[in-house]
Amino acid sequence: MREFKIAEPRTADEAAALLAETKETAALIAGGTDLLDELKSGVSGAGLVVDLRGVAGLSGIAAEKGGLRIGAMTRVVDLAGDAAVARDYPGLKGAAQSLATPQLRNVGTVGGNLCQRPRCWYYRDPQVVCRKKGGFNCFAYQGRNKYHCIFGGSGCFIVYPSDLAPALISLGATATIATAKGDKTIPLEAFYAGPDVDVTRENVLAKGQFLKSVWVPAPKAGQKSAYVKLEERGTWDFALVSAAVAGVVKGGALTEISIVMGGVAPVPWRLKKAEDALRGKPVTEAVIRQAADAALADASPLRENGYKTDLVFAALKEALTAIAA
Amino acid sequence: MNSRKYRAETLIDLPGQARPARAAAAAQAAKPAEPAPAMKPPDYRYIGKPSTRVDGRMIVTGQAKYTHDVKLRGMLVGKILRSPRAAAEIVSIDLAPALAVPGAMGALKLAEGKVRYAGQQVAAVAAVDERTAEKALGLIKVEYKTLPFVVDWEKARDASAPQVRDGKPNVEKINEYSRGDVEKGFAEADVVVEKTYRTGFEVHNPTETHGSVAAWEGDHLVVYDSTQNVHSVRDGLARALKVPASNVTVIKNYMGGGFGSKLGVNDYTIAAANLARQAGRPVKMLLSRRDNAVCVGYRPSSLQTYKVGAKKDGTLTALQLTNMASGGVGSGDDVGEPTVDIYKCPNCKVFEETVYTNTGGSRAMRAPGHTQGAFGIEGVMDELAAALDMDPLELRRKNYSTKNQGDTGIPYSSKGLDRCYELGAKAIGWERRNSRPGGGTANGPWRRGLGVATSIWYGAGVPGTLADIVLYPDMSVEVICGTQDLGTGTRTHMAVVAAETLGLDPKDITVKLGNSDYPWAPGSGGSQTTPSVAPAVRDAALKAVERLKAVAAARLKIEAGDVVMADRKFSSKSDPAKSATFAEVCRDLRRETVFHGERGGMPMDQFAFNTFGAHFAEVEVNVETGRIRVVKYAAAQDSGQVVNKLTAESQVIGGITQGLSAGIFEERVMDDATGNPVNPNLRDYKIATSLDIPEIAVLFADVFDPRINNLGVKGLGEPARVPSSAAVANAVYNAIGVHIREIPMTPKRVLEALKKKEAGS
Repeated sequence: MREFKIAEPRTADEAAALLAETKETAALIAGGTDLLDELKSGVSGAGLVVDLRGVAGLSGIAAEKGGLRIGAMTRVVDLAGDAAVARDYPGLKGAAQSLATPQLRNVGTVGGNLCQRPRCWYYRDPQVVCRKKGGFNCFAYQGRNKYHCIFGGSGCFIVYPSDLAPALISLGATATIATAKGDKTIPLEAFYAGPDVDVTRENVLAKGQFLKSVWVPAPKAGQKSAYVKLEERGTWDFALVSAAVAGVVKGGALTEISIVMGGVAPVPWRLKKAEDALRGKPVTEAVIRQAADAALADASPLRENGYKTDLVFAALKEALTAIAA
Repeated sequence: MNSRKYRAETLIDLPGQARPARAAAAAQAAKPAEPAPAMKPPDYRYIGKPSTRVDGRMIVTGQAKYTHDVKLRGMLVGKILRSPRAAAEIVSIDLAPALAVPGAMGALKLAEGKVRYAGQQVAAVAAVDERTAEKALGLIKVEYKTLPFVVDWEKARDASAPQVRDGKPNVEKINEYSRGDVEKGFAEADVVVEKTYRTGFEVHNPTETHGSVAAWEGDHLVVYDSTQNVHSVRDGLARALKVPASNVTVIKNYMGGGFGSKLGVNDYTIAAANLARQAGRPVKMLLSRRDNAVCVGYRPSSLQTYKVGAKKDGTLTALQLTNMASGGVGSGDDVGEPTVDIYKCPNCKVFEETVYTNTGGSRAMRAPGHTQGAFGIEGVMDELAAALDMDPLELRRKNYSTKNQGDTGIPYSSKGLDRCYELGAKAIGWERRNSRPGGGTANGPWRRGLGVATSIWYGAGVPGTLADIVLYPDMSVEVICGTQDLGTGTRTHMAVVAAETLGLDPKDITVKLGNSDYPWAPGSGGSQTTPSVAPAVRDAALKAVERLKAVAAARLKIEAGDVVMADRKFSSKSDPAKSATFAEVCRDLRRETVFHGERGGMPMDQFAFNTFGAHFAEVEVNVETGRIRVVKYAAAQDSGQVVNKLTAESQVIGGITQGLSAGIFEERVMDDATGNPVNPNLRDYKIATSLDIPEIAVLFADVFDPRINNLGVKGLGEPARVPSSAAVANAVYNAIGVHIREIPMTPKRVLEALKKKEAGS
């Protein structure tokens, strides 16, 4: 493990100022379940670690403007066990429950999950300098890629591993970002950016900025949501493909529908074409097949991950069936 | 430190204590064989019953000291620099910058000439702490000249592929066998089935990573090692360091598993001993989880093509296997043994090759060869059963053998496989299977199925294994053997056998093991620990009883033949009023007394001694997501007399867990471009968790065979692993009607196999 400095700010402003001013490569530590691994293996070269655990006001779940404000430092276990989340956003609860293991959920935070680095095995190998780490090659493109993306790859073929992000985006969540000049709020969907924007990062946070909280709007009348996670192993696994859906079924047909998938693209992947194909239709296997095919028209599988196109249909079917029931 | 030399034999001063000569055992072996004895099990108090582990409390409360826990005064931390390249010429190694680091106390070059795989050791340092050692290691300058390499075994077969070994082709024959005439057999067959099965690279990943602590005391080397064989590590170190074996002591008190990856002396242990000599201080050398995936072995892969012929009624007429193994710079495993032995068939032909690649060498892994072979032969038996429209269990029974070499060799001394089939089929509810593969009713996308697979393995134990019982005048009892407890419960079984024989409680026995200064025992591999050690302990304990009876007779002034031992008392059969307590008789010994026991021989020229088992799995398969869930499992084992039912059941559950995991999840993935594995960790190399393990019924076919040893004990570790991946794969076949034919059966492979079937190929 390389040596690094640690800073323990007490307020969000202090943290933002520290991040803005430092000349070191900075990393934020929340639950620390992943950062410590990255530091030990040498994948993270952070010279300054800013500990958010002492910063006041970053954790907790509270009703706000008819919706729910979730602090970045809220533990995943608390999100999974929250009564309002269970009542209004079953898809979000499902995503939180499906995440990692009880031990990791006890320590890991919502903000940490939303800002985590990718799990691409080439990126995680300290001996490999890939494009994401400033090198010239993506080793996955020609190499071993059964876990890699089928949508949105562009010189880098990671998948974004978060379970919470697809669920929150499907529910229309916004992200509040602390900056040196005060807070700003953007749609969570716009928080993520693919390799075509900046291959070394997965989100739009600029120097001196960090995620403070997310806000989920009140559910629409009759809104249902679900999260389906397809894994290799039954537990403690990242999604091969996951589907977060939120929608309203009226008179046997979908009047509102939002679909975001995990495990398929470098960012949480909105299936707009599938949404269009489903809107106004009843939830039948044939309709789901058409919707999946519409979405999959954009897929470019790699040598070893073609099976993910089957999983897109399977996840979509299971999730839509759950909200139509 | 627990390195006392084992007591000299001169303490023994009474007749009848001489070690039974090997010649006597051989003479016994040459005697004409008795008819197969259906020995009724003796009415034991502890043997065969569940006994809690004598060291369970120590282990779960963290008091048991593993190699990783060893701390010696002045101990340094050793670290090894490993080649990042899969093939290179080492031009130079400069240790000076490392040695210049304050706190760096020693450094070594460990390679010269060529490195042939990524992860091969190149240099090492020892320093006062981990950070200093890492810093020093990072400063070693190695200049490599990169050479072409090949890590994909399919590519390594090409004539144009880089040569892994100098002047030798990559492909090499490792096994050839033939009996009868397979062509004649195929001509006689009504049905011929030909299929190809693949098994991948399975990493041992013991909970405790490999590691050693080396300390010199003058010219005597003491090594704490996480090993399955203290004696072979001692001998290997003596050879490598050019010191007498008598100057080396290897200690292994507690261990977190090995599964075959810790059987001999390791290069990092030799490096630790050399660094310790150089620095004049003890050196601790622990390997990382990554190291476990690159340099201490794995199960080699296999590509097995079977051609099987049978009559309409299922009678086998010919079995043919060709295999291509790959074990990196190691020689791979031949997998033909189950095909040669298990089913009655007059015509059989096996041809096996291995292909070398620039990856670390494979090592023995829990039933080397048999586990891969069982996946193939048991898979093709099920596909043959489907072709014959026969129950797969009936097909196996139809071709049941009582002699080895497919019923053409010598008779099995005992074979309880028929009983295993019966017990397992009943426990799983075999009658619920789909009569045609894939013929069950669907529950949404889920399909249910049942499968069976058979195992044959060795595991009769090693003649010549030694164990001692020491009786003290204060009635304390020690049992001592230079075996090792990998976590399998060896300590407990030694206490159980000694207590049973001496009429005491297992808690009364002090067990000493895991030290190369103790009496010789074989490595703890090959399922040979219990059938080697338990009979030796039994032998020593029987001698102790004999002596105690003689001492009691003297005290009671009666004939030795008149003494009976019961309830910690010695009494006269003819006059029960005359009796002495166990304590009184021990006091009469006046000093500690040692009794040597030895595991005797077996008539191996007349009988085959094997273990058997039948595993039954029930699975659910999702045909849309490719997920497999094992929902129920029944395992029936013929391992002869069980010593401790509790740890025996644990052993079987472990074998099933490992096979389920290898069958569905585990696979080391190599990268062609970098020559390194991409998943040398426990995140991307996936092992089953407790939530993946179903309800398991463990059953034992109570076969008692006194020809094997004085307790009728056979091994269990590997038999529990051999058929477990195969049983799951056959259940998947029964569920979805397509045999995946490659493990692990990931969602990707299941979906691809279903697609292929849909496309009609």
